[in-house]
Amino acid sequence: MSAAISPLEQMVVVLARDLADGELGAAGAAALVPMAAIALARELHAPNLTVGGEMFFNPEPGRLYPSMLDDRALGRCEAAETFIELFGHSHHGLDFFFHSGLQHDAFGNINLHHVGGTLHAPRMRGPGAANLSYCHTSTRFYICPTVHTARNFVEKADFITIPGHLSGPEAKRAAGLTKEGPRFVVTPRAVMDFDPETLRMRLKSVHAGNTAKEVQRHTGFDLGISGDVPQTPPPTEEELTVLRARIDKTGTLRA
Amino acid sequence: MQGHTKPTRRSKVTALHDAARLARSALLERPELCLGGLFKQGRPVALVRALLAAGAKDLHVYSSPGAGYDVDLMIAAEAVEQVFIPGVTLENRLCPNFRSAVESGQVTAHALDALTVVGGLMASAHGVPFQPIDALRGSDVLKHNPLLREIDCPFSGRRIHAVGPIRPRVTFLHAQEADRWGNLRHLSTMVYADQLMARASDMVIASVDRIVPDEVILDDPSRVSVPSHYVDAVVAVPYGAHPTASFPHYAMDEDHIDAYADLGDAARAGDRAGLDAYIARHVTGPTTQEDYINAVGGADYFARLEAEARQE
Repeated sequence: MSAAISPLEQMVVVLARDLADGELGAAGAAALVPMAAIALARELHAPNLTVGGEMFFNPEPGRLYPSMLDDRALGRCEAAETFIELFGHSHHGLDFFFHSGLQHDAFGNINLHHVGGTLHAPRMRGPGAANLSYCHTSTRFYICPTVHTARNFVEKADFITIPGHLSGPEAKRAAGLTKEGPRFVVTPRAVMDFDPETLRMRLKSVHAGNTAKEVQRHTGFDLGISGDVPQTPPPTEEELTVLRARIDKTGTLRA
Repeated sequence: MQGHTKPTRRSKVTALHDAARLARSALLERPELCLGGLFKQGRPVALVRALLAAGAKDLHVYSSPGAGYDVDLMIAAEAVEQVFIPGVTLENRLCPNFRSAVESGQVTAHALDALTVVGGLMASAHGVPFQPIDALRGSDVLKHNPLLREIDCPFSGRRIHAVGPIRPRVTFLHAQEADRWGNLRHLSTMVYADQLMARASDMVIASVDRIVPDEVILDDPSRVSVPSHYVDAVVAVPYGAHPTASFPHYAMDEDHIDAYADLGDAARAGDRAGLDAYIARHVTGPTTQEDYINAVGGADYFARLEAEARQE
């Protein structure tokens, strides 16, 4: 297990540690890192965690797939549902969910619709998103894009597809967003959280091989760095062994 | 009883081109087309190609909340006016022709969400004037979504949302099996919104990998995913979902979709020759599904996709 730890492996481990036994959650659209995190949590400390809310329960993929909407990944799962049940889950909410987008802003709002221009005259049109409910009906969610640059971390998103903390506590209350919202932002460079007073994003820790100064340089807004920023605790021997031997057998997270 | 001849029940088995003509004339009355499956799984792509070859135009396209290749292809063939699908993506990359057409104003892509689409189909399927929704807050989509209204909940008094019935004029589905009467069996793990769409639509046309004997249905009725009551025509099309998957029979063809997307990206950059050649070779050129299979790579090529679907 001496091979270098990849940035995606570090992301998986950070996310897995925050998922608790007995919870219900789903991976979201960009499933690679979230599914690996869920699987790792189930292997290590959360055997009763249920994967559900995306039309299947407790899949057992033989390896990691970029999308879970693929019967090669779902061939083994405990049960399947339809969009009718998803309608209900979306109202009842989950314990956790994952999101990422074209732009992520200083309050954890996510844009998947357009960059520049307007919705119907966009400079760049994005894919949009299907589920806009889990971000606020679920107990919490995580933001986990697999790139972190000053172009996808911007002060203000051009369009809010997935609301995070909007412009802070007052706006969040006014919009009826009563749950925690985004808890952590985990990227290949660092972990961010949100100031409990202002709900603005701030740097929490940097992964091995990164400096706070570099992370700030690759972020389009002030991360509120003051003093020394701790290093993200790297994967333990056990976490890395289980991740590579039982979950990511084909090395997708290191590719 | 003497001299009585039992009248014959009408088979719904229809030829691909007849099904496409049926759909095209219905869509001339009202252009709302809905597609089953989800992203790269269980999409009725052979029906879509036949409809494009029949010359459909100005379509309003609905789907389960996530679509990609087929909608992008319909846009590349200049058959689409409006898109009512929340997420349009190839998942590993953006849909090139969707992007270009929306950015140039050729196609209107409405900002929607899954609950609006599913709720609208539920209202239509259940025969009620609207479906309440109480799980949409804080998104800019709510400022633009043309299908939503705000209402006061008659019980709590709270402001909630409502969506009216979405009633597709034609829905295309793909299932793995059907009998000749149109009873569908999905053998794939998920059935997506196919059952809901079947009940929400004026006309339902399904492609299947194979027609099975009546006894297969009668021996296991709980396995029927869509009863024939909801189905107007069923078309047996080998590899009818290609390049999307039809589990457990064949896997999605990611290489084919990626190669198509490269041609779409080239068209974005100003060189449309490859995309036009793709459409001629795969959509307007083939006169039968056999022609299409040969254009894609022939029986050996498809045997690989079948083997991939069988692997554990």
